[in-house]
Amino acid sequence: MNEIDALRRMRTALAEQERPERLALRVDWRNDAVRERRRRGFRVPLLAAATATAVAAGTVGAIALRPGDGRSPTRGGERTITPGNALLVAAANAQKAPSGTYWHTKTVMGEVYAVGESTANHYKIDSRQATEVWTDGNGLRRGSHIDMADVPLTPQDKQKWQAAGSPGWVGVPNPEGGGGEVHLDVANRYGGRSPFPPYTEKFYGMTAGEIAALPTRPKALEDVLLGLKGHWHAVSEDGEKEEPIRALPGQERIRALTDVAGGLLSTAPAPPRVRAAVFRMLAAQPGVRAEGPGTDPLGRPGTVVSLPLKTTAPLGMYTAPKQLGTYRRQFIIDPANGSLLAIRDLTATPPKGSRPLPPGDDGKPRSLKARDMPDRFNRPGDLVSYQAFETAEWTNANPPR
Amino acid sequence: MAMVSQAPGELDDAEIVAASLRTPEAFGELFRRHAPRLHAYVKRRLGSSLADDVVSEAFATAFRQRARFDGGREFGAWLWGIAANLIARHHRQETRMYRAFARTGADPAEDGVAEAAGDRAAAAALGPALAKALASLNAQERDAVLLLAWGEMSYAEIASTLDLPLGTVKAKIHRARKKLRKVLPEETTHE
Repeated sequence: MNEIDALRRMRTALAEQERPERLALRVDWRNDAVRERRRRGFRVPLLAAATATAVAAGTVGAIALRPGDGRSPTRGGERTITPGNALLVAAANAQKAPSGTYWHTKTVMGEVYAVGESTANHYKIDSRQATEVWTDGNGLRRGSHIDMADVPLTPQDKQKWQAAGSPGWVGVPNPEGGGGEVHLDVANRYGGRSPFPPYTEKFYGMTAGEIAALPTRPKALEDVLLGLKGHWHAVSEDGEKEEPIRALPGQERIRALTDVAGGLLSTAPAPPRVRAAVFRMLAAQPGVRAEGPGTDPLGRPGTVVSLPLKTTAPLGMYTAPKQLGTYRRQFIIDPANGSLLAIRDLTATPPKGSRPLPPGDDGKPRSLKARDMPDRFNRPGDLVSYQAFETAEWTNANPPR
Repeated sequence: MAMVSQAPGELDDAEIVAASLRTPEAFGELFRRHAPRLHAYVKRRLGSSLADDVVSEAFATAFRQRARFDGGREFGAWLWGIAANLIARHHRQETRMYRAFARTGADPAEDGVAEAAGDRAAAAALGPALAKALASLNAQERDAVLLLAWGEMSYAEIASTLDLPLGTVKAKIHRARKKLRKVLPEETTHE
């Protein structure tokens, strides 16, 4: 099948034409001139506000967390959790987690955009979406996408947004280098939940069966994961061949390995013993460092673990750089429950200057410019984006029909 | 561009645009002829709820600017060009849907309508990989390759719609196809 045929088989259900009479009932182009935007109530979950404050306050510290400090009952028991052994405690507790018929996850993803003209006069919007998925032992997945309202990041941001007239749509510079604006949907006009037909998917090239059969000793697990083939660079080249993770130089190898580790601890249906081995493997990686207590983007307390990386751009996706700053990535784990609560990316050095992009298709020069970046007013330590795993558990409960 | 069939004796599109300058209601016939196919295409790119809006705005814009329509041009190409500009405004929303699809295997654009039976296996196996590649295309590459695959247009029609030289359209499609080919498995996997 060539790529055009493959595209033609995608989203076929959406390609069906409707009769013009029926369309005319919904698509009232005559009254378009002044169209009223139906606004839903603006929602700021209390949790999000609390979280944002915690993020802004920073998290680095070396205070020992004791079991029971967290809200949830511990499975761990006797061991004291210090930053130094947080990953190993998490491993021990992950192993004791119950098993079940379905791996059930709900993931909230956010990207932070600055709105405004200057450091002194701007506010930030957290652009959010979520997915909820049930995966069975055969890798058959059922789930839905939830489009959430984009919300001001902190109470201060909310005040500024209100002072600007509480706009339902806010425009920000197009960060992709093509000029123009993109729009954020604070009114959540198109929000809602879209369910999906069941589907199967590989995780980093592995089937659900292969994930279930992964080694449960950290060294053996690492060996298998280093053999995974894929496109593992933040900036790929055209025509680049797939390569195993072990072929990458030092820091890039750790980055790819921790990307896969993050997946195995969150959305992939890994059994408890494999998850435990992932935590142990992480503890042994150079540059992976447990830092101290912190709060995840949903307001849940945990331990912050820093990972080494240069850019947070998704691996294997782009052929040109997407960012102008440098970043750091943190896992926020709950050692007492053996779970990964969230992955978040923070500014290390704010974006500056510009960078030419490969020649535009229209022949016009394009470039990535700091003044178009969503994080253009960030200071070191400010939140850039996150994935929070609100739910990630094996369950015997059935997915809703 | 595949045009809606027109009974003998009926006015052609350009004649209707001209007539609508005096009799605005005449424009409704252009909606009847062109809306279903345009709507299906936009739906495939942006999902159902946005598609209603984009098509509505495309016709409203065409109607407002009908005095400027060049009668020597295909009305369809002009209308789809307006729609392409409107779709571009939602570039980020479109990309985030592809990315969500790639990351989770669940396609936000879908309404839960079942795929046609024969396509289900292929779509389930390849959808997320294709979505990942689509997310990585820039706006013009995406427009060009999807007008070809989903809009069922010829290269010449795409050039006219996007108001680009034919050679540029070919180059864009070539580049987009290369990126898409990269994500397809050597041997297509079925469930």
